[in-house]
Amino acid sequence: MNEFFVAVGLGMCILVFLVLYRVIFGPGVFNRIAAISAIGTKTLIILLVLGYVYNRVDMFIDISMVYALLNFIGCIAAAKYLEMER
Amino acid sequence: MVASSDDIIIKTIARILVPFIQIYALYVIMHGHYSPGGGFQGGVILGASLALLLITHGYAEVRKRVPEGVVILLGSLGVLIYAGIGLICLLLGGNYLDYSQLSVILNVDPAHARSLGILGVELGVGFTVMAIMYSIFFDISTGGVLSEDQKHEEKLEGKK
Repeated sequence: MNEFFVAVGLGMCILVFLVLYRVIFGPGVFNRIAAISAIGTKTLIILLVLGYVYNRVDMFIDISMVYALLNFIGCIAAAKYLEMER
Repeated sequence: MVASSDDIIIKTIARILVPFIQIYALYVIMHGHYSPGGGFQGGVILGASLALLLITHGYAEVRKRVPEGVVILLGSLGVLIYAGIGLICLLLGGNYLDYSQLSVILNVDPAHARSLGILGVELGVGFTVMAIMYSIFFDISTGGVLSEDQKHEEKLEGKK
């Protein structure tokens, strides 16, 4: 079962790099914001999977919740900035 | 950045979410010595909840609830708690922040006193980090100019 979670984590890491392409080259700001948000979500999943690998999910859930929260606030702040720019 | 948003969805979500964020921040502070987290991380989450309120509800609304004076007071109070606990340990004959010396005052065994001392110090750190995070966000988003300052300057120019 451990190998399964390691494989899932590695796959997620590869996906993060695919989405990173959109962050760097993506046309427009909206693509970049959406891509950064997606990377945040993937990081959250990677954290939880790591929790299963190390057998300490209870610890990693705390961290991942904080990560989700800051991701949400960052997303709203970026959207607010865009609204102000117009 | 600090103007109030017109969007009712964002406002409602933020209003519902902020109390839960703050309770979670308190959990992170109180469980600092068992799980990841502690004073700094909890303080950052508390500061983030205030930043969310500032983004969605605007400067004028947040200022009513969390005035600048309270922020400065909380920031100083946290440092006072931290340094105070350290100094009390020093006065009781131990090293600086040697919590086991607190067992004389708290009337518990040294191990328990150590746990309580760490909790007190983390509360202090949490207060300060929250206040400073909020203050930094506030200063960056307003460019260091508060609307009250502007009113004051306008008054001065009016007198001239």
